[in-house]
Amino acid sequence: MSAAEVLRPAAAPSPRARVSTRFLRSELAIIFGRRRNLAGLAVLAVVPVILAIAVRVSSPGRGGGPDFVSAITGNGLFVAFAALTLELPLFLPLAIGAIAGDSVAGEANLGTLRYLLTIPAGRTRLLGTKYAALVLFSFVATALVALVGAVMGLALFGGGPMTLLSGTQTSFVDGVGRLVLTVLYLTVQFSALAAVGLFISTLTEQPIGATIAVVLVNVMMFILDSISQLSWLHPWLLTHWWTMFGDVLRDPIATEGIVRGLLTAAVYAVVFWLAAWARFSSKDITS
Amino acid sequence: MSFFTSKPALRWSAPLAVLVVVGASGLVVATATADNKLPERTAEQLLVDLQQAKVDGLSGTVVQRADLGIPSIPGAGGGDSSQLTSLISGSHTLRVWYSGPDKARIAVMGTLGESDIVADGSDLWTWSSQDNKATHRRLQAGQHADQAAPTDAPKTPQEAAQRVLSQVGPTTEVSTASDVTVADRAAYELVLKPKDARSKVSEVTVAVDGETHLPLRVQVLSGDTVAFEVGYQSVTFGPQDASRFTFNPPPAATVTEVAPKTHQAPTAAQQAEAKKRAEAAKADSTVVGTGWTSVVVSKLPAGYADNAQVAEFVKRLPETSGSWGKGRLLDGTVFSAVLTDDGRIAVGAVQPALLDEALAK
Repeated sequence: MSAAEVLRPAAAPSPRARVSTRFLRSELAIIFGRRRNLAGLAVLAVVPVILAIAVRVSSPGRGGGPDFVSAITGNGLFVAFAALTLELPLFLPLAIGAIAGDSVAGEANLGTLRYLLTIPAGRTRLLGTKYAALVLFSFVATALVALVGAVMGLALFGGGPMTLLSGTQTSFVDGVGRLVLTVLYLTVQFSALAAVGLFISTLTEQPIGATIAVVLVNVMMFILDSISQLSWLHPWLLTHWWTMFGDVLRDPIATEGIVRGLLTAAVYAVVFWLAAWARFSSKDITS
Repeated sequence: MSFFTSKPALRWSAPLAVLVVVGASGLVVATATADNKLPERTAEQLLVDLQQAKVDGLSGTVVQRADLGIPSIPGAGGGDSSQLTSLISGSHTLRVWYSGPDKARIAVMGTLGESDIVADGSDLWTWSSQDNKATHRRLQAGQHADQAAPTDAPKTPQEAAQRVLSQVGPTTEVSTASDVTVADRAAYELVLKPKDARSKVSEVTVAVDGETHLPLRVQVLSGDTVAFEVGYQSVTFGPQDASRFTFNPPPAATVTEVAPKTHQAPTAAQQAEAKKRAEAAKADSTVVGTGWTSVVVSKLPAGYADNAQVAEFVKRLPETSGSWGKGRLLDGTVFSAVLTDDGRIAVGAVQPALLDEALAK
C-alpha cells in the first residue's frame, strides 16, 4: 500500500464523471499566490543558505554541532539533510500549520466560504481538494528546503561519493536518490500534520487560532516524546517517527522504522481527514 | 449518503471506526502469540540444544531495553543515542549480521547516528558516525584456538547440561515453557527462578528458537517488570553477503590503529607480578552469602572519585548509614550497591538490607 494513495482519498478522479482540476488549480493559485505564503517559503529556503555559508566560512576540522553538520564538508548534499533536520521541529511544521489552519477557517473569516460552497462541487469534494492542495504544499515546502540545500552545498563543497551513517560510501547518484526518498517520507509526515490542521480549521473561524493550535499540537507531541516515562505512548505520536528519515542513510536502508512511520502518518491522515469531513459537512456555514 | 444527511452526528462514526480498527489490530498483534505450541522439552534437553545450536548466517534486528534504576549518568547518553556507552539505560535498536564464528557486524542505531562493529576474521573495525571516527585492529588467525581446555571440562553437551543443572539446583528453580513467540518464531523458554525471595531478581528467562536452537531473547525480571531485555525483533536465517563484513573507512574519517596484542610467554617476573595483583584483589574483596543473594564487598581503588563524572554521579545518590558507617546507596531494579565513605563497595542482586549485613561482617 502506498501512503500517497491513503493520503489523497478524495483527490483521485472517479472513473464515471470527468472531474475538472480547475478547483484544485484555483486552490494552488491562492496558496502560492499569496505574498505571505511566498515570504514563508523564502524563510524556509534561507536556512540551508545560512547553514552552508556558516560552515564554509568557519574553520575546518572540529566536528560536532547538530547532526549531519559535521558531514557537510565531506559532501555538499549533507547541507540538504542538515537543513531538513534543523527545520523539522518547528519551521516546516509552522509553515504547514499556517497553510492548513488557513484552509477553511481563513475562508470563513474572509466571508468567502459561503460563496465557495455555491460552486456545484459538494462539501466532501471541497475538503478533498483543500487537502490535496495541502499535500502538494507539504511536498513543495520540503522539496524546496532540500533543493536549495543541495544546490548551495554542491556549489560550496562539491559532490562526489557520499558517506552513509554506517560508514560505507555510496555514489553521488545514490545519495541524490536517498535525498529524494527523504523528501517523500517527510512529505507524507507533514501531510498527516496537515490533516490535523484541516480538522482544526473546520472548528473555528479564526485562521490564526487554528495555526497556533496546529503548532501547539506539534510541539506538544515533541514534548511528550522527550519524556522517557511516557515511552509506551511514543510509538503513537506522529512526530516520534519524523527523525526516522535518518534510516534512509543507512546501508542497507533500515525499513522497519520507516514503514511504521508511514503507517502512523496514514492513520493520522485518515482519522483527521474523516473528522474534518464529519465536522465540516454537517456544519452550518454562517459566514 | 442520504443516511448521513438525515443523521449528521453519525458522520463522526467514520473517524471513530478507523480508530477502533487500528486499535483492535494493535491488540490482535499483541495477543496472537498463544497458539503455537512446540513439543515439550526438558531444561536439560534445552541446554544441550543451546550448545549444539549452529547457524550458517543470519541477519536481524535486536532490541535492547534496560531499566536498571540507575540515575542518569552525565555525559553517557541515554535512549536513542547511538554511542556504545549509552546501552546501559533506555531502549536501543541494533542491526546484526552474522556469518560463521569470525564474521559479524553489529550496528547500534541512534537517531540520525550509528555505531558499527565489523569483524571479518582478519580485521576488526569500530565506527561512530557522530564522531566520524574509526578504529582498526588486526586480528591474528587462531588467536583463541591455542587455549588449552581445562582438564575437568565436560566432555559432552549432555554432561555440561547436567553439571549446570546440578550446580544451580540448590538455589534455583528451573522450568521450561514451549509456547513462547519471539520475533515471530515459535520458541522454547528456559526459566530460572531464584528460590531465595530476598533476591531482587525474580526470574531470568532465555528464549530458545524452536528450529535452530539459537537463543533469541534474554530477560531479567524484577517482580513482574522486565528490568533488562535483549532479544530479536526480527530475524532471518541464511547465508549473508560477504561484503557486509568488510569495512573501508570513509576518506574524511579519523582512523586509529590499535596494535594487536602480542602473545609472548610471560616472564617469571611478570607472572609473579600478576600473581601478587590477583592475591591483592582477592584480599580486597570478599563474597558474603551464596547463590542469588551473594554480596560482593570490595575495596575501591584509591582516588576513584577523582574523576569528575564519577564524583558527580556518586553525589546524586541518596545517603545511607548502618553499623558499618556511612555511605551512598544505589537502589536499582535488579541490584543494589552501597559505596561507603571509607572506600568500600558492596554489590548484589539483593535488597539493600542484605548489603548492610554484609558490610557489617
